[in-house]
Amino acid sequence: MYGWHLKILRVNLTTKKVTQEDVDPKIARDYLGGRGWAIHYLYNEMDPMADALSPENVLIFATGPLTATPAPTGNRYMVVTKSPLTGALAHSNSGGEFPTWMKRTGFDMFIFEGKSSEPVYVYINEYQVEVRSAAHVWGKEVPETTDILKAETSNEARVACIGPAGENLTLMAAIMNDKNRAAARSGVGAVMGSKKLKAVVAMGNKNPPLHNPEGMRELSVTTSKDVGVDIKKGSNLRIYGTAYVPQVTNTLGILPTRNFLQGTFEHTDKIDGIALKEQFLIKHVPCYRCPISCGRLTEVPDGPYKGKGEGPEYETISSLGTGCGVSNLAALTKANYLCNEYGMDTITTGMTIAAAMEMYEKGYISEEIIGMPLPFGDHDAMIAMIKKMAYREGFGNDLAQGSYRLAEKYGHPEIAVTARKQEFPGYDPRGSQGMGLLYATSNKGASHMEGDVAYEEVFGVPVKENPLTTDGKAELVKRFEDSFTLIDSAGLCVFLAIRYVFSKERMVWPERLSEMMNLTTGAGYTPEEVMLAAERVYNLERMFLIKAGSTEDTLPHRMLHEPLPDGPAKGMVVQLDKMLPEFYKLRGWDEKGVPTKEKLQELGLPH
Amino acid sequence: MMIHVKLIANYRDQLPPEAKNGVVEIDVPDGTSVYDAISRFDIPLDDTSVIVLNGLTVDMNTPLKEGDMVTAFSAIAGG
Repeated sequence: MYGWHLKILRVNLTTKKVTQEDVDPKIARDYLGGRGWAIHYLYNEMDPMADALSPENVLIFATGPLTATPAPTGNRYMVVTKSPLTGALAHSNSGGEFPTWMKRTGFDMFIFEGKSSEPVYVYINEYQVEVRSAAHVWGKEVPETTDILKAETSNEARVACIGPAGENLTLMAAIMNDKNRAAARSGVGAVMGSKKLKAVVAMGNKNPPLHNPEGMRELSVTTSKDVGVDIKKGSNLRIYGTAYVPQVTNTLGILPTRNFLQGTFEHTDKIDGIALKEQFLIKHVPCYRCPISCGRLTEVPDGPYKGKGEGPEYETISSLGTGCGVSNLAALTKANYLCNEYGMDTITTGMTIAAAMEMYEKGYISEEIIGMPLPFGDHDAMIAMIKKMAYREGFGNDLAQGSYRLAEKYGHPEIAVTARKQEFPGYDPRGSQGMGLLYATSNKGASHMEGDVAYEEVFGVPVKENPLTTDGKAELVKRFEDSFTLIDSAGLCVFLAIRYVFSKERMVWPERLSEMMNLTTGAGYTPEEVMLAAERVYNLERMFLIKAGSTEDTLPHRMLHEPLPDGPAKGMVVQLDKMLPEFYKLRGWDEKGVPTKEKLQELGLPH
Repeated sequence: MMIHVKLIANYRDQLPPEAKNGVVEIDVPDGTSVYDAISRFDIPLDDTSVIVLNGLTVDMNTPLKEGDMVTAFSAIAGG
């Protein structure tokens, strides 16, 4: 077989038994790879009602057929499991170098089940797999853990691990790889911590052969050149990374500010990509072989926030920065470093602190409970809270449950800005209506990565849609959800579609992706078939949600009932009821959002 | 009448030296449209740019009013 190894590594952490399994070629083709394969196994292997932090949960690392190929951005992997934050599905994506190294072990996918009684890490050197003690790195932060495990395995290996936050079952814990890259969202690091699995160390030289290596090389070069044209014309991602975005969202009035109390931030100039480039940028840090290079190595050279690492990217600026009303770039950058070192999702971390700040200012949580004043804009208090969250100390234990549970505990659920209990990313949907529908219906709770219609509503890619209207947004959201499902399953990065690669003229989408899949795997997909496969994956995820009891597609009080007070979207709320019925109809779901028998039949799913 | 033009990120290079924080104030005749105003700057006027008026998606022929802000940025995904 080409492209896919068709091999899975299964590690039972309870018994320490390691097995290798073959994948049915029909399953491989029907579910694409990556996110698609993972939901097929998750759905069939676990009870969706099981406690996410119990041994019954299954933790899956999955590469796609285009991971570790010459395809530009072909260096992503997915972490798929039941989320302890949302109580539904987690599928978190990461790049860096680990995904390619993982694929080179000779396995497409790792499945971790059960729970170890003591801390362990799994070292995979091609087909030699060892479950080793991690007692000596338990408690250590991500950079030190990574260095120690590379020193005792191989400098050629790559490491994905959790930090103290994952060990302590903090619900915003991430799985970090290559020190600074994160499969961040939905608490996947807490699942890893609950299994006492500190790290996964991967190396090897077993790339699967390509069906048509010459054709794939040519198409990859062509696509890289197309991306190069995009980068040259719209060089912001290369020059500033995603940190250029606050100026855009602030202009449109959708920059989350002070826990979404506002849509514009008066100090955006102090914390945007230009300020970052002038003050702290050292160099661009691309993921392995990526032509876009949006990552940023930065350093705060001195002072109380001294440190070195990657970031902040846009989503960190809009959560730990504007979300918390923080305008001190050095402190914000330090907060990002701390999240990376403790292994935490900056979005949920930042927006949970933001919710706490609002509750403090409104007198719902006292200084005595918090242990210090926590007003908006207090960057030192914010940094103090991050450490307390990672270690679940004092009030940090409340924060470590995320903003939904925090707000509910203190009697003010209206403060939490979450969907399926997961914090919103950096686009206020009152001024970006399609994003509102996306957050409400997303299989993994609020997330831009589920189908980022901000590409059109905000960035004009490939065409500019009016963000304030609801017309056509149901179709837009479905198209982007299915498209992102395909990209996640293929093993690519959604930034491949930063501009022209998504254009109608170049017909890259889905035509070029199906061609890449065919040159890699020989599966002979038509463009329609890859889109149908993506829809199959999306619907199976939906069935997992329904079986997990996460059936309500809605938005929090603030989005539906509190109009934006400022900016171009002033006076707007999300008009969800105008979009949701049409969305269900387009998806082939009933009026409660459940896939109909006919739709499941059409997709070849159990019904 | 006086209006403001804001150019974001890589487009800032096209602003005159007197611009502050990416924004320049310019004097334009009555009846000037969004298109007329942004045409004064050397940025692409095709679908590789996003141009908004006071943060809103509008027709490029929309006439400007005193104090309006026209903003342009390169159409490329972020976030």
